[in-house]
Amino acid sequence: MFEGLTLLGDGIAFFMTPQSLFNVGWATLVGIIIGVLPGLTATMGVALLVTLTYPMPPDQAILSLMCIYVGAIYGGSRTAILLAIPGTPASAATALDGHPLALAGKGGLAMGLATTSSALGTLVGILFLALLAPLLTEAALNFGSYEFFWLALFGVVISGRLTAFDDPIKGYVAGILGLLVAMIGMEGLHGFRRFTFGVPALGGGIDLIPAMVGAFGLAEILVVMKRKVSARIVDASDRVVPRMADVWKYRRTTVRSGIIGTLVGIVPGVGEDIGAWGSYAAARRKSAESDRFGKGSLEGLIAAETGNSAAIPGSMIPTLTLALPGSAAAAVLIAAMYIHGIRPGPMLMVENAPFLYKVVAMLVLATLAITVLGLLLTRPLLRVMTVPRERLMPVVYVLCVVGSFAIAQRMFDVYVMLVFGVVGFFLREMRYPMAPLVMGIILGTLLDVNLRRGLALSNGDLSPFFTRPVSAVICGLIVLSILFSIPVINRRVTSLIFKTSAPKTGSG
Amino acid sequence: MHDTPPVPPRPDGAGEDHLVRADLLTGLVLLVLGVAIVWMSWEMPRLEARRIHPATVPGLVPGLLGIALAICGAILTLRSVKVAGDGAGWRGFGGQFVTNDAARVGVTLGLALGYALVLVGWLPFWAATAVFVFVYIVVFERGFASSPHPLWRTLLTAAIQAALVGVIVSLVFERGFLVRLP
Repeated sequence: MFEGLTLLGDGIAFFMTPQSLFNVGWATLVGIIIGVLPGLTATMGVALLVTLTYPMPPDQAILSLMCIYVGAIYGGSRTAILLAIPGTPASAATALDGHPLALAGKGGLAMGLATTSSALGTLVGILFLALLAPLLTEAALNFGSYEFFWLALFGVVISGRLTAFDDPIKGYVAGILGLLVAMIGMEGLHGFRRFTFGVPALGGGIDLIPAMVGAFGLAEILVVMKRKVSARIVDASDRVVPRMADVWKYRRTTVRSGIIGTLVGIVPGVGEDIGAWGSYAAARRKSAESDRFGKGSLEGLIAAETGNSAAIPGSMIPTLTLALPGSAAAAVLIAAMYIHGIRPGPMLMVENAPFLYKVVAMLVLATLAITVLGLLLTRPLLRVMTVPRERLMPVVYVLCVVGSFAIAQRMFDVYVMLVFGVVGFFLREMRYPMAPLVMGIILGTLLDVNLRRGLALSNGDLSPFFTRPVSAVICGLIVLSILFSIPVINRRVTSLIFKTSAPKTGSG
Repeated sequence: MHDTPPVPPRPDGAGEDHLVRADLLTGLVLLVLGVAIVWMSWEMPRLEARRIHPATVPGLVPGLLGIALAICGAILTLRSVKVAGDGAGWRGFGGQFVTNDAARVGVTLGLALGYALVLVGWLPFWAATAVFVFVYIVVFERGFASSPHPLWRTLLTAAIQAALVGVIVSLVFERGFLVRLP
């Protein structure tokens, strides 16, 4: 416990240099701008800016990317409140109450509370990250191939299930496609080249960054350009800095939403948007003024913003301890960590224990930065919102091309970006979620190698995959998740639960 | 958490009817792709000469994934085929590709592919970028929208932005990040 506190203190002290603070400042600002601009998401921002961090030392590179991530998730709230268009998908729930508040002349209050809620949400998540990550790492050190195989499969299945809640099969298809993409190139056990079709560049496999830049960059540009949008920015001239009384009044909602957001963040591949919706739904159920939700409820706004921000540190828990991305943006962060020679996973605490606490320190600094920048830069951020997309999108696309090219300085990665962009666009249009696809690409190798290694260790015997306690639990969760996505079973179980609980509520 | 949809409803209320037909076609493609992957995985060398454990053959996981994909494809197809019978629905589905929205996507994609596949490599990077940005802005501001400004103003501001983007991006990446641009 004390060792953890010392390491955290060291982490914060490590970043108390002019260079680090400069990086925190620009990266958070860039993140907020990315979030404010509709059509630019946190994942896209982090993927595009990985290139900019190549020349930096590893700690500074991850610090900058983390600040962009936190800034973008926060920045999306601004557009949601003033334009009713979520700046990023994570702010969709924020728009429900934020925009009616702005229309009622309380835009400043809404922006201020969104800022404090984002900061408090991140802090709740940070607390859990600092407490849970070392415990999870200790448990994960005992994991073998069997457990890692199930964990990889769990990541893809649960992400597919929860990001396509209405139609889970589309989530599963996206996940399987991602896993198949990871099968391309040289496999890790025998060095055999799979699905290369004689193309030498495919031998090294599909790099995650150009794939992400395509799926989240080009695909997003096509989605944005598809529709004509006419939205008017609501004037917000009231006080932006919120009163302590307003923040304190909703403390229960803040803590509850922070915990829900963190837990959703911990679930692999399920990120900030579901963190926000989960917290929002819970707040509406518990609220005394639930009829105000959707019409300009401060509580609804606070719940959504706390929930989406808390999911960021939450998503870092499996990312750092198991190398299992907690969200799509965290998947890019994992790729960036590998580029900079940092290996996330159970061995991180053994090989590079201070890094975990440095990440905690990075999140603390990013939280401070969004609070200061968010409250100070109200007017300039309004101007950012008015940039027409016809002027913005060609520049973003140029960055997509250069960003993909710069990784290995080869056109092959640009072609990968184009393919993923076009396929990603059509998949999005048909409501296939992108997060499971990303999870599949990043977890494919882990799944493949650990299944075959496990089988080799057990001499072809499948039983250790089902009899080891942790394996059995994860396997059970996967089976339940898939079973519950079959409509007939889901309906039967739901009706069964309601039948058994109805008399209880009636008699009580 | 479950009583609110994680994905917000689409503002344009895109009809479900054409989505069913898209699902049917996608289902068939996935089914064929899944079967093809299973076949390719089965045909993959088993590396017997290297005496590897038979349970660790390279085609094992891709084969299992192919089966899973084929099953999902079959479910999507069967689920959609029940609804997607009538011809009017297919005409509506085809109509999705000739809307103004589709034209905007088509033009964006055409410009994007033209830039990455033709202009880059043919012109110096800064010039390719400037041409792309200029054409993009002019096409979308004049062709797809009725700009309140006179044409000369659109051309002038687009040219300035195009030149700035071309030069700044090239300089930042070439000088700042030492990338040898294509």
